[in-house]
Amino acid sequence: MHVPTRLTVTTRPLDDDRSLVDLLPVDDALLWSRRGAGLAGWGTAVRLTPGTGPERFARAEQALADLAAHAHVDDAVGVPGGGLAAFASFTFDPRTPGSVLVVPRRLVGRHAGRTWQTRVDAADLADDVPGPAALPLPEPVRDRVRFAGSSLPDVQWLDAVARAVKQIEDGELDKVVLARDHAVWSHHRLDPRWLAGRLARRFPDCFTFLVDQLIGATPELLVRRSGRDVLSVPLAGSAPRGQDEAADRAAGAALLASDKDRREHAFAARSVAAALTPMCDTAQVSPEPFLLRLDNVQHLATEVRGTLASDVGVLTLVDRLHPTAAVGGTPRDRALDAIRRMEGMDRGRYAGPVGWVAADGDGELGIALRCAELSGARARLFAGAGVVAGSLPEDELEETRVKLRAMQGALDA
Amino acid sequence: MTADPVDAALIEALSTATGSTDTDAPGLTVEALAERSGLPPAVVEAVAREGLLHPAPGSDPPRFGEDDLAVLRAGTTLLEAGLPLGELLDLARRTDQTLRELADHAVEVFLHFVRDPVRGTADDADEAADRLVGAFRAMLPATGELVGAHFRRLLVAAARARVEDGPTDPAP
Repeated sequence: MHVPTRLTVTTRPLDDDRSLVDLLPVDDALLWSRRGAGLAGWGTAVRLTPGTGPERFARAEQALADLAAHAHVDDAVGVPGGGLAAFASFTFDPRTPGSVLVVPRRLVGRHAGRTWQTRVDAADLADDVPGPAALPLPEPVRDRVRFAGSSLPDVQWLDAVARAVKQIEDGELDKVVLARDHAVWSHHRLDPRWLAGRLARRFPDCFTFLVDQLIGATPELLVRRSGRDVLSVPLAGSAPRGQDEAADRAAGAALLASDKDRREHAFAARSVAAALTPMCDTAQVSPEPFLLRLDNVQHLATEVRGTLASDVGVLTLVDRLHPTAAVGGTPRDRALDAIRRMEGMDRGRYAGPVGWVAADGDGELGIALRCAELSGARARLFAGAGVVAGSLPEDELEETRVKLRAMQGALDA
Repeated sequence: MTADPVDAALIEALSTATGSTDTDAPGLTVEALAERSGLPPAVVEAVAREGLLHPAPGSDPPRFGEDDLAVLRAGTTLLEAGLPLGELLDLARRTDQTLRELADHAVEVFLHFVRDPVRGTADDADEAADRLVGAFRAMLPATGELVGAHFRRLLVAAARARVEDGPTDPAP
């Protein structure tokens, strides 16, 4: 990767309490936002492509560090995400190209009620970058989003799940997450800023993200590093919300009591704890999973919190964590191999780490779930399900059908 | 179990009328169904678990009949037209739920309005049993024909109404 000329990075407080999405003035936009906090960026100062291979996280970290070493950074605010920061989106499979880090020309951040703006300039970068948008984006011309097929027909996907269950029952695997996709098309371009705003409003408790045409609202925090503090909240095992309070509590109780969901969750929680706790002086892991209630679905969740023993950067932590058993499986490598053999599609950046990374090693990344890859008037939607002993293939097909329908509904006019 | 001879005759008639229209004893395994329908065995098993196929009671491994093969072939026709399996199973579950309620209700109607009068007017148990079994054997295929034909006509009417309502895919 070519390291560009000296960047001048200036972070100052900003007196603006509008929604982050509403600040994006141009299409070339980036977003990572939850409950009104996060980062919104636009314009491209530097685009880093760490390539393929398991070393892509280390390469990205090094490239960002090199940028910082050659940059003049003036941060008058001093909060996580200030100074030199990049939006990041990595592919799920190390063999897949397309991982990217983008340092935007302008960035607005909000954290604990404080708002700031970062400007990134350089001698060889254009002068005419717009400031935050004056008005919210008007509703674009939109059209129905129509089904255009899947990479693997449902019949074959169901058969793949059945074969995975057989491998698990034969003792070759403990858990594998199998995903599938829907292609959709529309008569009009799918507007990333408009859709990001819709997702952020519809799913305020999720991390809404937009990085290089990958858009979504994920409930799952892969890792947050803030100084020496680290947090990960693996999710696995889900149930719908109830129509009323009583039904909701019943659905939640059933989920907590479900053997299959508890087993599925245990693999995910253990894989995260095993990756993080050795890097920490002290760590706390929820002794029992708890219910995480989000809009239309509830998940089993575990908190893994710790104090890092050394100054490892967030991308080093991502390297250890990804893929967790929430999106890959157990044992990790055998599950990855099964996914490659059986899914019949390329996940691209679905189920990969997505979020932001600062040059000082702080950052917050989620797992790119509940997302779509936009491409003009077309998109590719993804959904997956965790397969364990006792999984019924038709139930996994139905679970992914419901997830895909929800995502299509979020994109629809 | 009942010692009532009239009910016993009805039970005997039920055990030989699996609701199927074929006269051969059911004998197809999951693998045979898979091979003859062109679907993977895992899909056949999933469809069976959903209650959409009816194995012979007590058969282990489960044994199916030509009627079950006909169901799978009909499903394959829909799949080959492009309907995703996930949507087909969802439609099947909805249909199943509605029809189960209807079947329960139809049985109650038979018992109250066909069995009760026969029992009340027959000279003896043998005559009652003959008349009841005769009624059952005539009514079962007729009921199937009515429900099937009615749904087909409803489907055509629904499609017609939808198309006449305006473009099915309005321009933006």
